[in-house]
Amino acid sequence: MNLFFAVLTPFLGAVLVAWASRFGRSHAAWAAGGVALTALAWLSPLLSQPFAGTTVVQRLEWMPSVGLDLVFRLDGLGLLFAGLILGIGLLVILYARYYLSERDSMGRLYAYLLLFMGSMLGVVLSENLIQLLIFWELTSLSSFLLIAYWREREMARMGARMALAITGAGGLALLGGILLLGEITGSYELSVILASGDLIRGHSLYLPTLILVLLGAFTKSAQFPFHFWLPHAMAAPTPVSAYLHSATMVKAGVFLLARLFPALSGTPEWSWLVGGAGLCTLLLGAVVALFKHDLKGLLAYSTISHLGLITLLFGIATPMAVVAGVFHIINHAIFKASLFMAAGIIDHETGTRDMRRMQGLWQFMPFTATLAMVAAASMAGVPLFNGFLSKEMLFVEASEMASQQSFGWLLPVTVTVAGIFAVAYSLRFIHDVFFGGKPLELPRTPHEPPRWMKVPVEVLVLLCLVVGLFPAQTVAPLLAVAAASTLQTALPEYNLAIWHGFNPALWMSVTALVGGVLLYLVRRPFSLLHDRFEGQLDARRLYNALLQGLMVIARRITALLDVGSLQRMVFVFIGFALLLGWMGWSGDRSVLTGSRPLLPVDAMSLLVTAVLTVISVAVVILHRQRFTALVLVGFVGLVVSLIFVKFSAPDLALTQLLVEVVTVVLLLLALYFLPQHSPVESHPLRRSRDGLLALLVGGGVGALAWAVLTRPHSSIGDFFLANSVSGGGGSNVVNVILVDFRGFDTLGEITVLALAGLAVYALLEKLHISGPSQNADGRDWNWDLHPVIMASFTRLLLPLALLVSVFILLRGHNLPGGGFIAGLVTAVALIMQYLANGVAWTHSRLSANMHPVVGVGLLIATLTGLGSFVFGYPFLTSTFGHMKWPLVGDFELASAMAFDLGVYLVVVGATLLILIHLGLMHGKEPVRGKGGH
Amino acid sequence: MLTVALSIAFVLVGAAVVLSAWRLLRGPSAPDRILALDTLYINAIALLVLLGIHLGSALYFEAALLIAMMGFVGTVALCKYLLRGDIIE
Amino acid sequence: MLEYLLSFLILAGALFTFVGSLGLARLRDFYTRLHGPTKASTLGVGCLLIASALFFSTRSEGISLHEVLVTLFLFITAPISAHLLAKAALHLGLTSLAPPPEDKPRR
Repeated sequence: MNLFFAVLTPFLGAVLVAWASRFGRSHAAWAAGGVALTALAWLSPLLSQPFAGTTVVQRLEWMPSVGLDLVFRLDGLGLLFAGLILGIGLLVILYARYYLSERDSMGRLYAYLLLFMGSMLGVVLSENLIQLLIFWELTSLSSFLLIAYWREREMARMGARMALAITGAGGLALLGGILLLGEITGSYELSVILASGDLIRGHSLYLPTLILVLLGAFTKSAQFPFHFWLPHAMAAPTPVSAYLHSATMVKAGVFLLARLFPALSGTPEWSWLVGGAGLCTLLLGAVVALFKHDLKGLLAYSTISHLGLITLLFGIATPMAVVAGVFHIINHAIFKASLFMAAGIIDHETGTRDMRRMQGLWQFMPFTATLAMVAAASMAGVPLFNGFLSKEMLFVEASEMASQQSFGWLLPVTVTVAGIFAVAYSLRFIHDVFFGGKPLELPRTPHEPPRWMKVPVEVLVLLCLVVGLFPAQTVAPLLAVAAASTLQTALPEYNLAIWHGFNPALWMSVTALVGGVLLYLVRRPFSLLHDRFEGQLDARRLYNALLQGLMVIARRITALLDVGSLQRMVFVFIGFALLLGWMGWSGDRSVLTGSRPLLPVDAMSLLVTAVLTVISVAVVILHRQRFTALVLVGFVGLVVSLIFVKFSAPDLALTQLLVEVVTVVLLLLALYFLPQHSPVESHPLRRSRDGLLALLVGGGVGALAWAVLTRPHSSIGDFFLANSVSGGGGSNVVNVILVDFRGFDTLGEITVLALAGLAVYALLEKLHISGPSQNADGRDWNWDLHPVIMASFTRLLLPLALLVSVFILLRGHNLPGGGFIAGLVTAVALIMQYLANGVAWTHSRLSANMHPVVGVGLLIATLTGLGSFVFGYPFLTSTFGHMKWPLVGDFELASAMAFDLGVYLVVVGATLLILIHLGLMHGKEPVRGKGGH
Repeated sequence: MLTVALSIAFVLVGAAVVLSAWRLLRGPSAPDRILALDTLYINAIALLVLLGIHLGSALYFEAALLIAMMGFVGTVALCKYLLRGDIIE
Repeated sequence: MLEYLLSFLILAGALFTFVGSLGLARLRDFYTRLHGPTKASTLGVGCLLIASALFFSTRSEGISLHEVLVTLFLFITAPISAHLLAKAALHLGLTSLAPPPEDKPRR
């Protein structure tokens, strides 16, 4: 369960932080830090297990009947990533506290950040691949929110959209790959999949599976040709970039490569696809990074390049290359996070990120400059820093590959060229920013940042140094367990040392360092060339064209189907219903009338039905006179509820009556703003066509009802009837179904109702439309707002009506009634006061704020449901008992009644929220009447 | 005795329903129609009370109670609309 | 004895209900039509409700009080409805057999 709670904590914490931010910026930061530490605390008891060689798998039964469980897994690789996510997450939280300006919402950033943290933990700790995919998509979604944090900026929105489109599409491909993996191995659990590598590689579906999984990994990790979203994602605040684009989000892709390495690697396809993409990305990112003028742009392309490096190592696929890949994941996360943070400090202090404008910042911020230099040296692969170690391992692997393939020499050459560029751009990052003359017209005079803003950078830079100098004493055990769980076999022999003697790799390093310095010195003409062609060779253009094309196609299809005519949509809809109905009838040769004997007809039912039919037809004929049609519809509703009474459905009848009146009030509110007469617009021919269609549909539905009702039919209803008293403790089966048997449905429904109420409120709150000052005949409205007889007598009715609603609520479990009906009665009783006494009078006695009522209602219903957990029963199990009350006598008390109370409150609140705000929509224009005011 | 009375009563109330429905259809003015609807609500209460006595069941009273209440609210809302246009102000 | 009383009440109630609707259907202007339902029908339903109250009170132990609630409702609401309807009719200037009173606004 620990792993489950570790993943859950950040999600819950996001809510907590959003709330805590009310009390101040530091409170939000403390809360966020506390949440990350709590997640770490959940993990801590298990930390020693991967080092002992065991893989922790924790299972939480979710839907055992369909084989869906929440399964979490902690092994070396997961441990490494969880450490990166939480450790760097903590540093980023500290850093962001000082980075954000006063104008930006602290709570929102931390809430998003924690959502992302939870999603990422979910990805790395999942045992089940489907579950992994869900968290994978959550990282895409939460990173969308984070990138678009400054939502008022066009670039931020564009960048976020692009990142979501690319990674979302990749996620779709990954889903396909995972389903294929499940198809091949018969399980979605990693333990099974990792153990059946030979089966997967030998399967005919191996290649499609591989391609789909790789599409998911490559889009996430910004591999060529999907790399272009990452530079645009730099529109995010820098703490976000430091977190997402160094240690976590983009590493999810390489995590997937590492995770599925035992299952998918070891074939030529794997080597060519993964190695090829990695090599291209490595070179492309390194070259472009040198010419970027934006500080974060340089870092973004450098990130792309380093991700390419890691991918290349997994593509080489020797055990030693995998060790190097895992090692570089650690190193890159450390130095790139610190570089992003340093870039953020520079941006923060100077107000710009353009490297052409800043020089010589050394004199203003020597300390930050020193930190940045160490991190950049690590990025360049200078000896004594951690980046050197893993890059040296890459050079070893590349040079060993050279002798094995016919064009093998290309590999070490390309890698060395990329190394040259890496040195050059690292040098540029340092030299252009901190040295080389005086700064040009900076927006602000820079100085050292606040003390605590530097701490995260210091910690990371210290790690660069310590790992670089003493790898065997520091990082070795973690690397060993992570690499071992990646490979799922024994580790190769290796030695984490700085000095390996004079081997080809050493010469490659020397070449890269010397070549990089030279390249930096002569970069000017190349840079001009790049500026000239910038944006012309860009996959983003392809992406935009593709997006544009899709939009055009989508618009065409929409225009083809939807011409903006309601009649046409209804025609299509009804036409299809008719077609399907006809197909159903024509296929079955049985007779229309079933075997069940008909019930006797009494004269009164016949009479009432006949009147109903006549009035219904009249509604159709008179529908252009809207008010008249509304009055007639009121009668139809009344008769329908009488029919419900006749056929022993009193609950339905009561509900129908109430809904009828609420609808009439609602329609009258709308009618005020509508034209009083609707003109004749349709052609007679068209009307006869519609009439024919209506007759066919009516006849069809009638025939269907006849066929169903004349057949003996047993349904689940009998079960409810038999178990209502024994199982739910109530003799009103309808109510027991609502609050007990199908209580979960009801909870969902009242939630929807509450949301609908809030949505209507949100839409109408600021809306003011002025209604007509005269009626349809041009007569002024009456001067008498609230006739005194109506106003005073209606007040008398309120206590009576409330008494009725309480009565209906209490007896609902056993006799017709219940929370829904009682809620509507109360709502109608209160609306009656608004009608008769006006808004001002009512609001001076009853708070207009219905939000708490809705909220408390939902809370009561949910807590009642959760209460059953306390007693060890599933959600919403109800219990009941009888108690003797003085005076009242035997009184049944069921836990479902508390649930019903919640339903009641939600119904009251939502109904009032909707109707009152519709009523308040009209503008406050002066009343013009005969008497005037 | 009671059965005969009930039968006659059903016929009378049924006729009342038909007459009121005729006024509802015929109009001619909006207040006429509202009045007819209000009358039909009262007729419905009468029907339910008769049905209750006829079947000896008290289950119909909640419906009658709510019809009395809702009929009133409907009438008030419709009249308010005719008078003021805006019913909640 | 009780059965006679009940029968009488039921018949009277139904008759008044019918007369109310008859008036609604047959009388010649809105203001006269208003009398039928508001007086006769209310009285009719009142009789029926008393009948029902008697019926259920004698059949089971305890007094049946639901009917009282319905009656209370009806008797409070009927005048309000009638007043509002008359007001609406006056406001719309419906034709009347008798000369209508002046609708004087309060100052």
